[in-house]
Amino acid sequence: MVNENLVKDVVKEPYKYGFVTDIETEKIEKGLNEDIIKLISQKKEEPKFLLDFRLKAFKKWQKMKEPNWAALGYKKIDYQDIIYYSAPKQKEKISSLDEVDPKLLETFDKLGIPLTEQKKLTNVAVDAVFDSVSIATTFREELAEHGVIFCSISEAVKNHADLIEKYLGTVVPASDNYFAALNSAVFSDGSFVYIPKGVTCPMDLSSYFRINSGDSGQFERTLIIAEESSSVSYLEGCTAPMFDTNTLHAAVVELIALDDASIKYSTVQNWYAGDEEGIGGIFNFVTKRGKCLGKRSKISWSQVETGSAITWKYPSCLLLGEESVGEFYSVALTNNLQQADTGTKMIHIGPKTKSTIVSKGISAGNSKNSYRGLVKMGTKATGSRNYSQCDSMLIGDQASANTFPYIKSQQPNSEIEHEASTCRISEDQLFYLQSRGIEFEEAVSMMVSGFCRDVFNQLPMEFAAEADKLLALKLEGSVG
Amino acid sequence: MKIIEKIKTNKSNHNQTEIQKICLNKLQSSPLPNPKSELWRLSNKSKLSNFLDYSINEKDSKFDIPYPENSQSTIRFIIGENCQIKLIEKNYSIQELSEDELQKYIKEQISFFKQNENWSDLLNLSLSCKNNILGLKINGSKIPPIEIFSHASSNSLNAKTLVIFLEKNCELELLQVNLGKENSSLSQSTFICLKENSSLNHGVVSYGENRSNLLNSLNIIQQKNSKYNLGSLHFKFNYARFEINIKQSAGNAKTNIKGMQITKKDEQISTHTKIEFNGPNGFLDQINKSLADDKSHAIFEGSIIVPKIAQRTDASQLSRNLLLSNLAQIDTKPQLEIIADDVKCKHGATISQLNEEELFYMRTRGITLTEASKLQLSSYFQEIISFIPITKDRWDLLDKLLNEN
Repeated sequence: MVNENLVKDVVKEPYKYGFVTDIETEKIEKGLNEDIIKLISQKKEEPKFLLDFRLKAFKKWQKMKEPNWAALGYKKIDYQDIIYYSAPKQKEKISSLDEVDPKLLETFDKLGIPLTEQKKLTNVAVDAVFDSVSIATTFREELAEHGVIFCSISEAVKNHADLIEKYLGTVVPASDNYFAALNSAVFSDGSFVYIPKGVTCPMDLSSYFRINSGDSGQFERTLIIAEESSSVSYLEGCTAPMFDTNTLHAAVVELIALDDASIKYSTVQNWYAGDEEGIGGIFNFVTKRGKCLGKRSKISWSQVETGSAITWKYPSCLLLGEESVGEFYSVALTNNLQQADTGTKMIHIGPKTKSTIVSKGISAGNSKNSYRGLVKMGTKATGSRNYSQCDSMLIGDQASANTFPYIKSQQPNSEIEHEASTCRISEDQLFYLQSRGIEFEEAVSMMVSGFCRDVFNQLPMEFAAEADKLLALKLEGSVG
Repeated sequence: MKIIEKIKTNKSNHNQTEIQKICLNKLQSSPLPNPKSELWRLSNKSKLSNFLDYSINEKDSKFDIPYPENSQSTIRFIIGENCQIKLIEKNYSIQELSEDELQKYIKEQISFFKQNENWSDLLNLSLSCKNNILGLKINGSKIPPIEIFSHASSNSLNAKTLVIFLEKNCELELLQVNLGKENSSLSQSTFICLKENSSLNHGVVSYGENRSNLLNSLNIIQQKNSKYNLGSLHFKFNYARFEINIKQSAGNAKTNIKGMQITKKDEQISTHTKIEFNGPNGFLDQINKSLADDKSHAIFEGSIIVPKIAQRTDASQLSRNLLLSNLAQIDTKPQLEIIADDVKCKHGATISQLNEEELFYMRTRGITLTEASKLQLSSYFQEIISFIPITKDRWDLLDKLLNEN
């Protein structure tokens, strides 16, 4: 149930994360070429294998073409007009949070991210990424006691090079797609999680991504490895300031689950979406993929996508291990001139694999919201099952909702079910709520929240509350 | 480019009709459909090029219709053989369209063509000579059912075109039969315009022999308050592509579609439908069934387009598929593109095999496995077959399908 006062407060507010932190940053010059990549690698003091990985990816990227199959329209991105590395200036390496620039801590405070000690009580370990660099990771010691590694990917490169070399690029190869190749060449930072055998991670892990500068792109890379019989829940949040230029965000997330392991990955994406005229906003091109390598492994994606001018995102599962399970729960909300082309891919390779897709799209204003999903049963996927459900809700007669499910089966002993529907907010229900004294906008946000219930139920507690708030905020002024 | 040269060398230029010239010109800019485009992505390239390999045949060899004698209660036409149709009875009239009417209508259609979406039509119209185009204007009431045959001759590429104007307040049952011969290619394009308040029960039955190919395109325009029912069945083709384009030009129309395709051996049969609602209160109920066995490949792609003007549209689309072999493949892609907000649109898709519990039940009652699966299949087929007009009593389609299995 949405807290009434909360919705009221929230509806009045504009994009509240749109402030810029005035902090000295170190940026490299605009443009992309081999020297830039070498410079990034050098700044991060990376081993040779990683530089080679980057250069190889860059070569591939140069030969690739930007994909145009998505139902998206945006002005051409000039890849030479982007700064590929930007980091807040820090004199020396920090050993504890007290040494982090207070301005940065303030920024994350404003965003509601608990970095400082007194806020650590929430029992969520946080890795905060500001522009290109990870600022701080909390709860390190506690996690280390259980053998869990949770740090920025640059640290992991230094301290756990063997794991990085073994797993980086195994789920999303550098040549996978245009944006993945670009990310592989220039990725700056991101999170690394390693859960050892038999460990259930004692707390939720969380990454918070913040773009601060207007002319630099953000290219983070996340790698999560869950060893046999381990489990972890990972949360990701994103915000950016308001600029009237478009900022590029091209991330890659790789998940690996071995025998009996389970990974739950939740995202609340609230990048700046541009103003009502569609000026500014983040171009969000993200490749997220999980590999269920082991038997009975499980990967579950849940996402609430409310921000970004352009969203191009298909969190996927490769179900290789016998009886492995893939799940995808998504709410995508677009308003004003936002465009989203999002969905999932469930590739059933191993026998007795199962997948569930629940996608809710809400389009308001002049926005465009497409679900695009692939379900594929390979020849060896005997006894596998898939169930998909995609519902769209239209608010106003200017928004569009599209559904493009691709379904392919090569295995007779498997079952695929797909359902999709499109509707609008029911006037009877609205009337009922209004006749009970509930105001129009509140009634709408209650109904939207009910429409998304299946997905919100899958989100961790604190995220579910945030998601509800976000939807109400985003729908402001779109009805009536 | 090969195909264009073939068309050019096949005809002396002065014989070419204006429409052929226009279409040939359009084809010249891109002689083959873009294999990367969404509509042609899954189409088997070598099978398509095999389709175009045969030499063009404009004159038909006589053929025997392998079906029951023409009974008095039905009217039968064979495209390419009839000339000077003029049936004027007390209640109804069936007349051939004049050259001008035909030209005008086809030209208007061509102006809406898109290269990839209407490639089959472009090919058809640039191949179809005057003799192989049948244009009919149908008016009146109590019209007897009509059967229209199109057939291909062995070792050749044949093109047949059918244009029908169904005038206001008309009701008609029409069965179109496309027959493929051994090693043959048939390109069939049909253009039907349903005027206000008219109603058409349309059946399309296509089947071939060894290694026959088919490109079958159906373009329907539905005016206000018209009702269009389509029952279709495609089987036994090495390569077949059935394209259905339906436009409800001013909404307020009803469309029901029930289609089925059956593939075996290494066949590939695909159905592509595009239904556009250009006005409010449109209705669509569509079901497409596929059955894929052996090493075959069945494809269904359906798109429903509901622009802003099409408020209160009620559309549903269901794709049901049976995959019977380890080496067969099924691709299905039901698709919704919606802008109007006051609509009810839904689609569904399933891929499965024969229900094992039902099979088990029947076997415990003493029915053999083969019989039991035949029974299951016949109920699967029956829903579609009973929707195809005229065929009910005279054509043993069900037996034909089951015996093939």
